Amino acid sequence: MKYQQDFDVIVIGGGHAGTEAALASARMGANTLLLTHNIETLGQMSCNPAIGGIGKGHLVKEVDAMGGLMAHAADLGGIQFRTLNASKGPAVRATRAQADRILYKHAVREVIENTENLSLFQQAVDDLIIENDCVVGVVTQMGLKFSARSVVLTVGTFLGGLIHIGLSNYQGGRAGDPPSNALSQRLRDLPFRVDRLKTGTPPRIDGRTIDYSVLEEQPGDTPLPVFSYIGKAEEHPRQIPCYITHTNEQTHEIIRGGMDRSPMYSGVIEGVGPRYCPSIEDKIVRFADKNAHQIFVEPEGLTTHEVYPNGISTSLPFDVQYELVRSMKGFENAHITRPGYAIEYDYFDPRDLKPSLETNYVHGLFFAGQINGTTGYEEAAAQGLVAGTNACQFSREQEPWCPKRDEAYIGVLIDDLITRGTIEPYRMFTSRAEYRLLLREDNADLRLTETGRKLGLVDDNRWRLFEQKREAIENEMQRLKTTTLAPEKISPEEFTAVLGKPLTRAAKLDELLSRPEVSYEKLMSLPGAGKMARDPKVKEQVEIQVKYSGYIDRQLDEIAKHRRHEETIIPESLDYKDVRGLSLEATEKLGQTRPNTIGQAGRIPGMTPAAVSLLLVHIKKSRKKLSA
Amino acid sequence: MSETDTIAAIATPPGRGGVGIIRVSGSKCKNIAMKMLGKCPIPRKAEYLPFLNETREVIDEGIALYFNNPFSFTGEDVLELQAHGGPVILDMLLQCCIKHGARIARPGEFSERAFLNDKLDLAQAEAIADIIDASSEQAARAAIRSLQGEFSSRVNSLLTELTELRMYVEAAIDFPEEEIDFLSDKNIYIKLDKIESEFSNLMQSTRQGTLLREGITVVIAGRPNAGKSSLLNALAGKDSAIVTEVAGTTRDVLREYIHIDGMPMHIIDTAGLRETKDKVEIIGVKRAWDEIEKADCILLIVDDQQGISPEDKKILEQFPKGIKTTIVRNKCDLTKNKPGMIEGDIPEITLSAKINIGVDVLRKYLESVVGFQAGGEGEFIARRRHLDALERVGQHITMAREQLEEAKAGELAAEELRAAQNDLAEITGEFTSDDLLGKIFSSFCIGK
Repeated sequence: MKYQQDFDVIVIGGGHAGTEAALASARMGANTLLLTHNIETLGQMSCNPAIGGIGKGHLVKEVDAMGGLMAHAADLGGIQFRTLNASKGPAVRATRAQADRILYKHAVREVIENTENLSLFQQAVDDLIIENDCVVGVVTQMGLKFSARSVVLTVGTFLGGLIHIGLSNYQGGRAGDPPSNALSQRLRDLPFRVDRLKTGTPPRIDGRTIDYSVLEEQPGDTPLPVFSYIGKAEEHPRQIPCYITHTNEQTHEIIRGGMDRSPMYSGVIEGVGPRYCPSIEDKIVRFADKNAHQIFVEPEGLTTHEVYPNGISTSLPFDVQYELVRSMKGFENAHITRPGYAIEYDYFDPRDLKPSLETNYVHGLFFAGQINGTTGYEEAAAQGLVAGTNACQFSREQEPWCPKRDEAYIGVLIDDLITRGTIEPYRMFTSRAEYRLLLREDNADLRLTETGRKLGLVDDNRWRLFEQKREAIENEMQRLKTTTLAPEKISPEEFTAVLGKPLTRAAKLDELLSRPEVSYEKLMSLPGAGKMARDPKVKEQVEIQVKYSGYIDRQLDEIAKHRRHEETIIPESLDYKDVRGLSLEATEKLGQTRPNTIGQAGRIPGMTPAAVSLLLVHIKKSRKKLSA
Repeated sequence: MSETDTIAAIATPPGRGGVGIIRVSGSKCKNIAMKMLGKCPIPRKAEYLPFLNETREVIDEGIALYFNNPFSFTGEDVLELQAHGGPVILDMLLQCCIKHGARIARPGEFSERAFLNDKLDLAQAEAIADIIDASSEQAARAAIRSLQGEFSSRVNSLLTELTELRMYVEAAIDFPEEEIDFLSDKNIYIKLDKIESEFSNLMQSTRQGTLLREGITVVIAGRPNAGKSSLLNALAGKDSAIVTEVAGTTRDVLREYIHIDGMPMHIIDTAGLRETKDKVEIIGVKRAWDEIEKADCILLIVDDQQGISPEDKKILEQFPKGIKTTIVRNKCDLTKNKPGMIEGDIPEITLSAKINIGVDVLRKYLESVVGFQAGGEGEFIARRRHLDALERVGQHITMAREQLEEAKAGELAAEELRAAQNDLAEITGEFTSDDLLGKIFSSFCIGK
């Protein structure tokens, strides 16, 4: 049967990508349907109970700046907040929150159920309806047909999921949930390139069986960090600490003893796991000389005893898991509530996507999240936001929103994926961003909120708060640029206390603030410096903008140099074989990626400047021929 | 269409011509003119002006021409400096342009810009593709030649040190919970010291010209007493090598650095190639073969009185494939054969080194072998590119230290080191952030 109502956008999957996608499209006013096989698991944190971290926190703030959900849910669900890299300079500072799974899920569900234009339906999707290379709807397990102008697919590890514990394995999406095999088979029939990846989780522990008194405590930060730009620390629930323990020689001995029954080392698992999140057996093999590994003991919530021992992800047989857990300090009597496992799943080569996350082969079909080879809630949410936004734009026949590498980590993420593809689950790191000093957590709103507003993603309340903040920053920056301190007006002692040396000539406030040893608050304490800004966020922003100004200018210069290439579109119909002078290797690489712009073409590994020049000349030539 | 970066190149073929032209294109032309000429010439009016370096000393005097966009060859602002020819002056002028914000143009880039800015018609587009293709291949070859031997190994060890340091710095930033906080560790200064000393060694040697080979290497080889050393002396125009009638006089490798029409060349005289029991001579012969392996061009000297003997043929067969080889028939003063050249797969040049007849033919020929007259991207520019990149690397390393020591800003030091690696990559090849992450993951046990 066909469902009576037609939708603008259908989102398949209710994880972190799916929820952000559905919310984005609904916020923009598109009539949106979220299809999930289980409404109860909307916003489920299926792996570690934490949001944010280096690079990831940046993504969360960007999603928030565009009116997204993740930061808000983390504020409502976070039970331990920290600012990482606090000592290392603002560009690389990042927020991280341990989250109560239930509170987090609750916050997600509440927002979803109270968003206009968004409908929920519980049913697995088995098939896509495609007409003339364009998706027009989906078919659910019970044969119900939904039609829509565009579809976002966010099915995570559910495609062809295979769970391994020891040498036994079974099909599954995530422990406790079924895989989406029919859909997986259907997608494999389309011309997408499909491959396998692997990820894993540690065994969960009953906290009542852990001796916390011998573990190192890791409290959250004070003052309490807040994730959302419009959030408040008062929204946070009760805060509790994390703990740290270590593996030891005995643990490693136990692991080595079970290695013959490891699915990874006996060749049962084909998928490639991430280099940065190795299983404990991987760590023991690859870093044999290390006699202890740090294990973070993370609470799963305020109303459960279950604990997530982050750092011992494993697919060893259960008897080995049992022994290795009990060998660690404080875990001597630990009871495992859920065994650890590895999961293999299908992912689609993201080089088959456009920067909008629309697929190259099926119009109106968008992919977001783990299906594209990424890992992590934050990476998924970021893609969900882009895919949902662009699915709505597509349904309205409007231009997609494709953030660039110099605008957002979201841009870095998507450009990396569609340009280079990935062979391991892709995770964000700040070192992936060449414009790291511009892409900071503290200014994600300044970078993106205006764009979000234009797209219809940002509501009136957020916009009003943002405009106030932006104006206050601009005014204060202007004041610093125009206010002069003169040496004769202030005693040399007072200057020395702030500047470390007396002032020898009149200087503008921003010039003084740019010195490494001078802080904004100290500077404002000098007579004649005027009234200090009140909002701590404004103070912070002003200080950062002044201190980084030299580097910001340098990076802006670099961006300007590349702008022309970034803006030169490569026609979709271009046959690289026709490009005169292009080497075979370059032709092949370009064909595999089908870059959208000259800038993207230049980032394909192994592309030479000469190849880029040849491409430019060819495109220009084709255009001239057309106009002639 | 606006292009924000400004490119510069020597527009005349390398060599000691009468006039050498530096061409600059891009938005910074006006600024460069102000700095180097003290004024911006009136568009399309030739002016005779002194050319100044950064300290406002006169490098040369010549004609300056300025074309404002879009009324120029490339469609951008263009500055042309017509100086006296000669590689040294032109290189100084080019360096000045770079100091004032230009970068060295890629092969074919002027034509490329001209085409993209609608200054050339469609028919010329094919030609431009061919120019880019051919000249970038030539440039790649020249770069490889410039990056050889000790220079290469020094650059690579700098790269290794820099990569290692970045590995620690970036790991400390991206994985702050992993107990590898290198930024707060004094080890970072030790590593930085090491990089700085690697770098200053490298720069010192390049300044002394001992590492970066400029020009091609021509090896003179042949059987004993064929007149190799006489030929070296004839080409060099002085007595570098001791010449006697005793076979085996030259026992070691002799080098002479000469210019032919302004183009630098290393002429290497080797011991005569023969079976010998003399210990010193054995070493000499081995070294001769080492030099032959590394040569760009080999001159096989044969005694014209004996012609090409079976022994000569044997030597010829042992030469590495792909190196341009030429037979020089020496001592034509004794055979009374006519000096001159016979073209062929292996050309033959008849001359007498002793009385200096036919040597000019050889000189002209050498010049052409190297392809210098082709006007493409020679090693001279390849070397300038390398030096230019190294200078930028040096500036970033200095800044990285400042950021660490004075500002205690690890993330800014990291930015300088990233920039340094980017510049170094212009010499050593692409190094991506993913390559760096790979290094980090294989060196540290990262991950929860």
